[in-house]
Amino acid sequence: MAHDWQPDFEQLVDEHQSMVFSLAWRMTGDRGLAEEIAQDVFLQLDRHLGKIESAAHACFWLRRVTMSRSADALRRRVVRGLDLWVEMEEHHGISVVERTSPLGARLEQLLATLPESQRAALVLRYQEDMTPEEIAATLQAPVATVKSNLQRGLKLLRAKAENHLKEYVRGKEYAREG
Amino acid sequence: MEEFEQELRQAFERRPAPTSLKRRLMESRRTRQPRSHAFRLQRLAAAILLTAALGGGLVWRNREEQRKGEAARQQVLTALRITNRALNQMNTQLAAHGRVQRQGD
Repeated sequence: MAHDWQPDFEQLVDEHQSMVFSLAWRMTGDRGLAEEIAQDVFLQLDRHLGKIESAAHACFWLRRVTMSRSADALRRRVVRGLDLWVEMEEHHGISVVERTSPLGARLEQLLATLPESQRAALVLRYQEDMTPEEIAATLQAPVATVKSNLQRGLKLLRAKAENHLKEYVRGKEYAREG
Repeated sequence: MEEFEQELRQAFERRPAPTSLKRRLMESRRTRQPRSHAFRLQRLAAAILLTAALGGGLVWRNREEQRKGEAARQQVLTALRITNRALNQMNTQLAAHGRVQRQGD
């Protein structure tokens, strides 16, 4: 039954380019690199199109390969000793603050400071709304590890957010009290 | 924590991909396919040429060996013919010499 599904490359690009690009950008913190990764991932998909059995399989495959490619890119960058978030701001002139709320922008910046495994779990959980079991399957990691990364990542991100966004938290508290 | 998670969901919404991404992908796909098709044809042509060259070489070597064998056989036959003729002449001479001796006795 699954083989009745006929993959259409252009349609898959339309449906998933935003997901692939966002995952790569949040994992690497580099817009240019995210574009390169997204392009590589889709070209790899094109080569493997015959093995894709369903729309859900395509989505799973894209998420898995994007996360894997992003991790590879991060490792290469670590070897080169670059600060990804600083590079993003300096070289691409992208101000995250322009695009989203101040808290959202700050959360994205803080996300980039988390360990890679925690960042991957959080991005898949809150960007893609995936369950820990789905994240485990995508990252090919034990469910317990993913749950632990989610908890630790969330705690760490919250702590960092509280430190960095005192004004925002205070503002929220005033608003609640008011 | 739920409020914070809600903030995260909002902050981590998917971002639109650059419009150039799809264009570059489709261009890359278009240019890659004919090249790979042409490359496949080139490989096939090269394989056919190589096979033909190897096959031709084997046939040529086989014929050359046959030709040399035939030439050697002809040489042996010629040598045998010459030897035979020489022996015949020698026999004729010996016979003539014997007749002369018998007549002298």
